[in-house]
Amino acid sequence: MKKSEHASGRRDFLKGLLTAGAAGALGGIPGSLLAPRRAGAAPFDPSEYQVFRNACPRNCYDTCSIKTYVRDGVVQFVEGAPESTFTKGSLCVKGYTYPRRIYSPDRIKYPMLQEGRGSGNWKRISWDEAMGRIADKILDIKKRDGNLLGLALSKYSGNFGITNNCVEGMMSSLGYTSRFVGTPCWPAGIDAQNYDLGDMWCNDPEDMARARYIIVWGANPAWCSMHSMKYLYAARERGAKIVVIDPILTQTAAKADEFWQIRAGTDGALALGMARHLLDRGLVDQDFVSRCAVGFEDFAAYLRANVTVEWAAERCGIPAEAIRAVTEEFAAARPATVWIGYGMQRHTNGGSMVRAIDAFVAMTGNIGVEGGGVRYGHLRTWGFNFHAMLQQPPEGSVGFTGATGPKGEFDFADGAKPAAYSDRPLNMNKTAQEILDAKDPEIRMLWISCKNPFAQDFDRNKLEKAFKKLEMVVSVEQFFTETVRHSDIVLPVTTLFEEWTVNVSYWHYWLSLNEQAVKPMHEAKSNLEIAALLSRAMNAREPGSCTFPQEVDGKEWMIKEFNKGIYEQFGLSSWEDLRRGPAKARMASSASWHDRKFATPSGKYEFSSELCARNGFKALPEYVEGRKATAPFRLMTPHVQFGLHSQFVNLDWMEAFYPEPFVYIHPRAAAARKIEDGAMTRVSNAVGEVVVRACITDTVPEDCLVMYEAWFRKLDFNVQNLVDDCAADMGAMKTGAPGVALHDQFVDIAPVGGGR
Amino acid sequence: MSKRYAFLLDMDKCIGCRGCAMACKNFNQLQPDMVWRQVYPLDESIYPHRDRAFLSLSCNHCDNPACLAACPTCSYEKRPDGIVVHHQETCIGCSNCIRSCPYGAPRFNKAEKHAEKCSLCHERLDAGLQPACVQACLTGALQLIDLNAPLPGGLVQYPAGYPNMPRLNPSTRFILPRAPRLARR
Repeated sequence: MKKSEHASGRRDFLKGLLTAGAAGALGGIPGSLLAPRRAGAAPFDPSEYQVFRNACPRNCYDTCSIKTYVRDGVVQFVEGAPESTFTKGSLCVKGYTYPRRIYSPDRIKYPMLQEGRGSGNWKRISWDEAMGRIADKILDIKKRDGNLLGLALSKYSGNFGITNNCVEGMMSSLGYTSRFVGTPCWPAGIDAQNYDLGDMWCNDPEDMARARYIIVWGANPAWCSMHSMKYLYAARERGAKIVVIDPILTQTAAKADEFWQIRAGTDGALALGMARHLLDRGLVDQDFVSRCAVGFEDFAAYLRANVTVEWAAERCGIPAEAIRAVTEEFAAARPATVWIGYGMQRHTNGGSMVRAIDAFVAMTGNIGVEGGGVRYGHLRTWGFNFHAMLQQPPEGSVGFTGATGPKGEFDFADGAKPAAYSDRPLNMNKTAQEILDAKDPEIRMLWISCKNPFAQDFDRNKLEKAFKKLEMVVSVEQFFTETVRHSDIVLPVTTLFEEWTVNVSYWHYWLSLNEQAVKPMHEAKSNLEIAALLSRAMNAREPGSCTFPQEVDGKEWMIKEFNKGIYEQFGLSSWEDLRRGPAKARMASSASWHDRKFATPSGKYEFSSELCARNGFKALPEYVEGRKATAPFRLMTPHVQFGLHSQFVNLDWMEAFYPEPFVYIHPRAAAARKIEDGAMTRVSNAVGEVVVRACITDTVPEDCLVMYEAWFRKLDFNVQNLVDDCAADMGAMKTGAPGVALHDQFVDIAPVGGGR
Repeated sequence: MSKRYAFLLDMDKCIGCRGCAMACKNFNQLQPDMVWRQVYPLDESIYPHRDRAFLSLSCNHCDNPACLAACPTCSYEKRPDGIVVHHQETCIGCSNCIRSCPYGAPRFNKAEKHAEKCSLCHERLDAGLQPACVQACLTGALQLIDLNAPLPGGLVQYPAGYPNMPRLNPSTRFILPRAPRLARR
């Protein structure tokens, strides 16, 4: 910290009078005017509050269970639920801003209409007028096109509360529409794990405390899964070694025993080198590879013919002796585990790299082992009814007849009855291009909810062009984001404290109730109420044009998501049990694949996957070269601990700790470009440019620049000005579209304005 | 013997997340621009990697508080358990305490025109609860300790970057951070 300039200040004359001793003496005199006051505040009394159960619905590993303290109908403060051993009484820096979010003066208060998109000429309108305008437009599209494929939905992870799938349900209740499918998050790794193991299914993260060796590979839990850090620390206190592999010396890396600063996009080469060393040293778990796996001999032959430790070292930049040492330590420790982060697969070769790491861990026999495993994520606790999502189109609806796949990783509608028509899938990771290219019919109208495309979708300049094609854009939001600026109508939506829902995680195994703790502020309505209102407006204009119920009760709809399977999995007799606190899934073992019955076609771990080969990739987890550089620096745009994508950083409470973004640059790179610490720079490529202050740090590699994605309410900062929509390799099988290579981006940097 | 409450910051566990500081704002309902706790990254001359090790500091609840000595309205009080309490209701906003504290603990509330600082959540302590920041620390880096009870070994009172003020005898204790072994290009 900076020493206060007044540290030695003794200038105050009163100070001379009232030294500590003198004050004490004066205070001791009964009746003295200067008697110090006694700390008379009454002890904190939790019984003065109504306590509600909530759950953080953001796209986060930790999906915290929240206790909300309400007095006089106002949320006074929030804390982590102590009943969850994962949340363990603590929220994160983001979670503690929630009271401000509800009562932020920046919240959108009522429906508004912008006369001239981007003009800022907003005027307040009534819900009736807003829904009337929207319904008129939808009916107009149907009349012109004979179907509703010109209406597209852009929705992803802004709110994972299960009942918020009513937005998809609302679209279905109108007819067949266009849907942005896939996920920019983790799809390449999902498909990779499906090829190898038959599903994405991770151990209980709480059992990491029992690991004897942990490799955190391309994940940064100190920022992105803070609650997991306690398990890493617990493991270390019991003697485990922690190795972090990452292109960036992250906060997690700073807490490791050993940090490997790998060349980005070469993780596959490293994993293959480690696998080759297992072979060479006879460290392969023969029982596992022969009894529980298929294709190992082919993989071993591939390694012997194509891979050496030196070859791997040269590609990834990690010394061969370090690779050998850690490989041997990992094989000797039991259980040993690898946590594969999502950043690691956001490359053109991302899925293949995840497969290589899976194979390395499988060779050591750590799969199906408590405290072991190759951890990525899971969807094993998501067995809700998805009642809100599964709505029927009106009779006679006409739709899309081409090929379709899943609408994303959370598309649990598999097995629904085959229909003559379907929704038209568009690739979420190419939102701009899809809007520009869509024909017969064109995309005429976009409904946006739980998503901020201008913050999250790639190639912002192209998106700007694409939006110009749209006849109407409706945003359902809480704040005036850049996406709202590009909208015609904005509808104010409730925060999690103003609605009912239920939440689970894709990492831990807890289930949390989300009760309505306070009445909605201003004129905000939940997505569910908005769907009902739209249905009312549609049916008033054209009876039968929307099947969505016109009267809804959020609590009733939350209850409809529960079923016998959920109750049994979590040991509940009723959803109301969750009012006493979150519940954890009952599991035969904390280890995924504990019976080593894999969900692959062979029922075994597949070093060689025919399914993978059929889908256009190699059957074996072979080395795949990364994307070629097109500019001097690789740009990486990962998460910052102060935000979750474009949420939280806009709040004034957060500005107290994170007022401004930076581009992080290595000292030698900065010196070569004559960039001083704190200087303004221009970072640019073919996509666009960002002007931002430089922060010089050795935590980033010399050939890399780093910017953390975020939306600052007062700044024009947007990393998507530099990120193109180049696809990752895998992801289409399980999520409907391949991932995006958002860490395979290349830029140049120069000082601006004389560098200061 | 009475207690002497103090914060212990295990810098080896601290991830600089600012959860402690935000939890303080959340529980104590501070003005939007106010903080009672701040997290300061260590200079690279102290820890080799920028923004990767931190001092999370609020009031140090000193043995001999400079704020208390400097206050003309006796708005500061030191409780027998060591907590230095500031009484906003009698504070005239003269800022003497702010100028006197070498740790920057008291800060000026522009909206309400008075000084304020960390209360060590004495209302929570008196109810048998942990301070909001300590409860919020999800790595266990920030703890509440009693300096009059037996302490673990290896505690430091004046880590590098933290003003050395023996006359005030600040109560906060620290465990120093380690850096990882590096393999890099």
